[in-house]
Amino acid sequence: MNRTLSVPSVKSRRTREAGILTLLAALIVIIFIVSMNTGFMRLSPLDVLHTLLGEGTKQQKLILFDFRLPRIVISLLIGAGFAVSGSILQGLSRNALAEPSTLGINAGAGFAVLIFISFVPATTAGPIFVLPLLALAGAALTATLIYFLSYRRADGLSPTRLILIGIAVGAGIYAFQLILSLRLDPQNYQFVAIWLAGKIWGGDWRFVLALLPWILILLPFAFYKARVLNVLNLGDETSKGLGLPLERERLLLLAAAVALAGACVSVSGGIGFVGLIAPHLARRLVGPRHQIMLPAAALIGALLLLTADSIGRWILQPTEIPTGIVVAIIGAPYFLYLLAKSKA
Amino acid sequence: MFSFNLQRSGSMKLAMAGLMTTTLLLSACGNNNAANNEAAATTAPAATTEATTAPAETAVEQTVTDAMGHKVTIPANPQRVLASYLEDYLVALGVTPVAQWSVTNGTMEYLAAELKDIPTISYDLPLEAVTSFAPDFTIVQSEGTVQNGLYDQLNKIAPTYVLGDEVSKDWRKSLLKIGELLNKTPEAEAAITAYDQKAADAKAKISAAIGDESVAILWLVSKSFFIVDETRSSGAVLYGDLGLKLPNLVTEIPAESRATWNPISLEKLSELTADHIILVNSDGADAAEVTDGAIWKGIPAVKAGNVHEFGRATSWLYSGPIANSKTIDDALSSLVK
Repeated sequence: MNRTLSVPSVKSRRTREAGILTLLAALIVIIFIVSMNTGFMRLSPLDVLHTLLGEGTKQQKLILFDFRLPRIVISLLIGAGFAVSGSILQGLSRNALAEPSTLGINAGAGFAVLIFISFVPATTAGPIFVLPLLALAGAALTATLIYFLSYRRADGLSPTRLILIGIAVGAGIYAFQLILSLRLDPQNYQFVAIWLAGKIWGGDWRFVLALLPWILILLPFAFYKARVLNVLNLGDETSKGLGLPLERERLLLLAAAVALAGACVSVSGGIGFVGLIAPHLARRLVGPRHQIMLPAAALIGALLLLTADSIGRWILQPTEIPTGIVVAIIGAPYFLYLLAKSKA
Repeated sequence: MFSFNLQRSGSMKLAMAGLMTTTLLLSACGNNNAANNEAAATTAPAATTEATTAPAETAVEQTVTDAMGHKVTIPANPQRVLASYLEDYLVALGVTPVAQWSVTNGTMEYLAAELKDIPTISYDLPLEAVTSFAPDFTIVQSEGTVQNGLYDQLNKIAPTYVLGDEVSKDWRKSLLKIGELLNKTPEAEAAITAYDQKAADAKAKISAAIGDESVAILWLVSKSFFIVDETRSSGAVLYGDLGLKLPNLVTEIPAESRATWNPISLEKLSELTADHIILVNSDGADAAEVTDGAIWKGIPAVKAGNVHEFGRATSWLYSGPIANSKTIDDALSSLVK
């Protein structure tokens, strides 16, 4: 993992990193524009421009401002959230397979949402701001359970055990989800089935508002803790030796990762893979230093999810493919490629 | 396990990532335009003709409260009505919907003739698709369809009225309510009177033919059986309007745990003592796997040759004045020899 050794100088590294971040941001802008043009209704780039300048028809305004833009913004936020959550978890566990969905955190958050949907009758405005909190509670409970099950006094938190227990707990919760969803009436079952597949269903500015505080607080917090993650990468013994309050920092970061994942799941359902792939890609592009790797991962996650959502909206018109499935379709081949290239 | 070759230059990977994204982008653009043009071509003429056909009747806007408590202002003479899964009622009232309900594997086939040229819309009402049909009034059947903010977005497109599960489980109430919303109460009442007359005639004929023999309605789909009770769709017609006797397996299900269509295992079906079976077969030829089996052949009604099979294109799974009327026709043809 010692990439810095192979890079000639700090200055050229800085330039390269800045270049990559700029490129990612530019790609996001491009896909953003394409996404505004993508959908069932015809809106040419010129129409979009007119509408943005306030000259569109009522229909065009409705489509752009009320249907497409909120979804684009939500995709960006969720992508960044999952990516940073996955990066933190991979850093904490020093395991390349860690991410909110493999650790069962997504399942826990989803389960809480599912219980709410099953037992509280449908209302229009109520649940939007409650859902992130509920998902958070579910995610936190699951994370606590996994943490305690995989913690051993003798040798601390073993990365392998963390993953294995996470997968087991996740599978258990998933089974409960299935049982619960079988008891739902057809309407709710449809909703839950699609939701479990990872569909961004909250296409509304209120969902942006519900999600935004979490992202605005937790992303900068994670960036701020980048150095801690760097030190944690060196192993528990070294971290302690360097004077890091290990358990406290680990808990704080874990809580941030769980909260990010929980808030995202409440709006998007079970989207996996973003939290797994984005950190990997980021590490390959800019190296393992978290100061630069975390922002890169956030940008990659946002880009990936926005692309997936646009493809999902366009490819089988007029029906939509749940974003989670598109992400998996893009992500799986890349992941196989990684596995094929890895030496183990 | 994951020791990646990090020594290699990153530019190669960067180029690959860039290439991938560009390809996606280009393909997205290409196809997107074609689809969009098509959508525009189909909607534009419809939107222009609409203005000229508006009748000069003196009707006024009405403001009503729907099942979820929304205050809805319905335009005086709604011309472009969208009522997904409620097309039966619209057709019965002489209103042409702007789009018809559909799922991936089909539409309401029993209405195929009446809705021949009506474009389809996915059951989950994708917002942009709804917008493209430019409805001026939308009716939604169930609260569940529009939860989590979808109502507000639909309501931005056109005034949206939620009928609600409480009303929609009774087709007469639904028809009267929809008639009221669309200024067609006389038509709705006439349709119900005509239906009741038809049902009474059929009841007399069937009763003369089979007396108090019991009839079970089984739905076979994906090799699973479902049985209907007396409250919904064809069950309401047969057991309610035509006064047929419920089979033992339905009466054994506790009333509070009954669904519209209750799942029932093949093993359990072997205990079915009904004299007649209406088999609604959504599996087509694949049904043979089940119906050639010993358990199925051992059911008394099957042994007696009293199985009346209908395909998925028939109205047995649906509810509404037209569906129910067709169900009566089918019941007459199978039970009255």
